[in-house]
Order: sequence, then structure tokens, then C-alpha cells
Amino acid sequence: MNLHVADPHWGVWIIAYFFLGGIAAGAYATAAMARLFGKRRDQDGVRAADYLAFPLVCLCGVILIIDLNRPERFWHMLMSSQTLMPIFKWWSPMSVGSWGLSLFAFFSGLSFLAVLVEDDWCYHPRLTWIYKTREGRLGKLISLVGLGSAFFLGSYTGVLLAATNQPGWVETPWLASLFLASSASTGLSAIALANRWFFREVSRSVLRHVERADRWAISLELIILCIYVWSLGSDNRRILFSDLPGWLIPWVVVPGGLLLPLALMSRHRRRGMGEVAAILVLTGGLILRYAIISIPGSLVYAHSLRDS
Amino acid sequence: MAQAYGFYTDTTVCIGCKACEVACHQWNALPARNDGLVELSGNSYDNTQALSDVDWRHVKFIEQFSEDRTSARWLMMSDVCKHCVNAPCLEVCPTGAIVRTEFDSVYIQEPACNGCRDCISACPFGVIHVSAEKHIAQKCTFCYDRLQNNLPPACAQACPTASIQFGPIEILKQRAALRVEQLHGQGSADAYLYGADDKILGGLNAFYLLVDKPAAYGLPESVEAKLPSRLVWPSSIRAMGTSVVMALGMFLAFTRRKSEVKTKELRTIKPRSEWRYSRRSGRKRRLEG
Repeated sequence: MNLHVADPHWGVWIIAYFFLGGIAAGAYATAAMARLFGKRRDQDGVRAADYLAFPLVCLCGVILIIDLNRPERFWHMLMSSQTLMPIFKWWSPMSVGSWGLSLFAFFSGLSFLAVLVEDDWCYHPRLTWIYKTREGRLGKLISLVGLGSAFFLGSYTGVLLAATNQPGWVETPWLASLFLASSASTGLSAIALANRWFFREVSRSVLRHVERADRWAISLELIILCIYVWSLGSDNRRILFSDLPGWLIPWVVVPGGLLLPLALMSRHRRRGMGEVAAILVLTGGLILRYAIISIPGSLVYAHSLRDS
Repeated sequence: MAQAYGFYTDTTVCIGCKACEVACHQWNALPARNDGLVELSGNSYDNTQALSDVDWRHVKFIEQFSEDRTSARWLMMSDVCKHCVNAPCLEVCPTGAIVRTEFDSVYIQEPACNGCRDCISACPFGVIHVSAEKHIAQKCTFCYDRLQNNLPPACAQACPTASIQFGPIEILKQRAALRVEQLHGQGSADAYLYGADDKILGGLNAFYLLVDKPAAYGLPESVEAKLPSRLVWPSSIRAMGTSVVMALGMFLAFTRRKSEVKTKELRTIKPRSEWRYSRRSGRKRRLEG
């Protein structure tokens, strides 16, 4: 493990971006899957995702710009400041991620506009073309490509961390999968919460579909988390998880953010258990990202203290 | 590309005078830390402590004692950006701000950098830092402006013991190999070159003659300094596999109906046509019209 690196100081803004971007991606992916394979009732049941994804991804954009040390130069991510031509480096996750985020914003923006028109928030006769993006072959195609962009947004942040030299991020290629599974579980939990609090027309059976998908995502996240921990190797495991913030993963995220929600979901008929489970999953997702992003900084700091 | 140039730093002749640090500060007009207030680190004579946004050269003082403290050794080493042949910072930089120059050095173009800090996370040597003043990534420029005017970098010119040597990289490597042979002949069997071969990131254009393990100098082992892109495909392929499994799970969740047929609906759902337009009366008629 290389402890001779400098801390990039990816702090609270990046943690917030990883968390909110994950929710947006997971929520949009759920809506796209419902549009592709679900019944009409399912599509109506996950419209909360259409309300969530675009505002969240816009917020992510603002967060990322704030986090830049030169926010007025944010456009350098997409265009060369010298030639004003698009800049795309397929081998740089941050470059690919900037384009992927823009693509996801486009698709989630389409869905957001469609749901606003459908629900009569901003009806205008000239906006009726938006229905074509929801139905028929074009609708399916848009949902499919949008689904791809959502899966990309949910996972590329893990590739971004792995493509560095920071301790705790480079020891395993499973971070992207872990973030993707976590983005699905948090996105589905956000939909479940929104359905229970704001979209009361949604039928119980649709709520159960969402919860069933959430159970699947949480189980997958648990499995991938185990693979991630195993793939680190015993020496790295001891270093990473023996102290804060890595300690939070086995002792807080796994029991509180994954196992307990799973248990509560199986007893969701008791009033309020579904909401509690969703809140726990969201909190677990936030803590997971905080722990993983903060690991290198704490290790490097501890190492520098020992050195001096 | 013109000939590749580099630094060869022979740590065995470094006397810790810090002339390189001063020359670097002076030529590049780097500001003083803490507004010039002296801050003693308590770590030998090393008050610079680390490379930073305003310290592009750092002379390390490494005090080594035997357990019974009857014998001691003092290692000194002037640290700097390694200008790697396969530079991780250059590889990950999303804005194209980091470029390779005609001298094979790695250079940050200040007007293009937006301070994303991806280069900091990619550098295995902890070289790059963000300037508190300019808010962009900063590191040794290899005195690019001096090189363009046929002048050696300020640090190499200032070094009184020729511990820092500048020149065409191949000539430096030959010179360094001879020096290692000479030291071995004198009984210093532990002398070796760090970064002169291609084991670390394809080779370092600023390589070192060391007499202890890299970790003693605060340098990573060759296996620890990795090219960031090596995990891009393995991570992406696993993420794609996870996407397929995730999509399959969602597909099953939204298509498996058997249990739902038996379940009594506890809430009634309005038809879509009814609640889509329910917020304002009259809109539905307008749509249909």
C-alpha cells in the first residue's frame, strides 16, 4: 500500500456528489426498467424517479462546480480551453464521467419535462411532442440508452477512484460494482420514500414491486461488498478497517444500512417499517461513500504523523 | 521530440544545504509559507517538511540510528517531481492542462487547469498540490522557461556538490551506472539506482542514487507506483456485469406477477387518464380537443 501520496482533499462536496448522483442514477434506472418491461401501473408507480433524477443531477452539477478550485473553468472538462474543441479522453474516468454526466442530464431532463407535462405542471400544446419520447419504439430506445447512461453514472465514480494511486482505492477493481449496487439500492429507497410520502395514489402492489427490486439491490450490494472486502487481501483489510473511517463499513454500513433494512422489509406490513428501511438504506449509502472517499486521507495523515 | 532531458540526483553527495530549494523559490517566484514566518518542524533540519504548492524542491533529512544508538547515519535527498515517462497525472488530467514538453518533462499549463485535483490523486509520489493562491495544480516545471533559453534548471545550477545533475537522460544514466560501480568498489554494496530503468512507470526522468530502501526516503516501491488506467477496464467490465445482474433483478421485480394476483389490493389506483390531469379541471378536454 502506497502511503507516500498527497491527499486530493475530495471532501464533503464530492461525497455529496457521489451520494446524490448515485440516487439519481438508481432512480432513473428503475423508471427506465419500468418503462421498458413493466406494466402501465408500474410506470405510473415509479414516476417519482422522473421527478427526482433531473433535479438531483442538476444539483450534482452545481456541487461539482463549487468543488472545483476554479469554478469559472468548469467547461474545461468538456472543451479544450486552447482550441475550444470538445475534449474527450476515454482512458481518463473524469473526462468520460463529465460526458456521461451530461448525457444522463439530457435523458433525465427529457423524463422530467415529460412528467411535468403529463402531470399538468407546465402544460403547453407545443410540448405534446414530449409524449413521443415516452411511448412507442422511440420511447423504448430512449429508455434503453438512458438506462445505460444511468448505469454509467452509478458506476463510473468507482472507476474514477480506482484510476488513482490512493491507498484503499487502488487495491481492488470492485469499487465501481459496489457503487453501482449502492446507487440502485439508494435510488429505489428514494422512490419508495417518495411514493409513501408524496405519491399516495400509487398502489400497494407497485410499492411491493419497488420494494422487491430494492431487496434485490440491497442483497446484491451486500454480496459485492463481501467480494470487495475479500479482494482487498488480509493485510489491506487490517489496515483499512481497523480504524475510522474504514471501520464504519463493516460495523455500521453492513448491519445498519444493509442487513437491518433487509430484515425490516421482510416485515414491512407493520406500519412505518418500509419508511424506516428506506431511510436506513439511504443513510448507509451516504456513510459508505463517506468512508471510502475518506480512507486515503486518514491513512496518509496517520502516516505523515508517524513520519514526523 | 527533441532529446529527453532529466535529473540524476546522487544522494550520497547531498549535504543538505537547501540551495536547490532556494534557487527554485527564487527563479519561480514562489511565495513563502506562513507569510515568511519560520515554523520549526522538530524533524531534524527539515522545516520544509514536504513538497507543496510553494515548495517544488524538498531536501529530506533522514536520521537513522542503531537500536542501541551507538551508530548513526544521516541520509539526505533533494526530492522533486519525477517527470515520469508514463506520467499518471498526465494520463488522468481531464482538461488537457498537463502536457509533455519537447524535453520529455511533464508540464502543467496554468491557464487550462481548473483545479479538479485528479492529478493529485493519481501521483504516486505526492508531488502535486493545489495552490492556495491560484487555486490550480502546482509542481516543478523542470524550469521549462530556462530550458527554452538553453539554461539548466535553477536547482541543478545552484547545487554546489553536483548531487543534482541535469542533462540528456541517456548520458545521465551512464554516469549514474558508473557511480554505482564506483560505490560498490568502495564497499557501499547497498548503492543502487531508483527509477533509472523502466520498472517504475516506464522510467523516471528524475532518478536517484539511493543507499537504502525507497521507503526510507519516502518513496514508493516499484510495485506500488501504478499507472491509473490499469484498473479502468477491469473495473468497467465488473461494473457492466453488475449492471446486467441489476437489470435482471429489476426485470424480475417488475414482471413477476403471480403473487400479486392473489394479493388483495389495499389501495385503489385511479386510471392513468384520470390522475394525469386531475390537478386542474378542463385540461383533459383541451388535450383531447
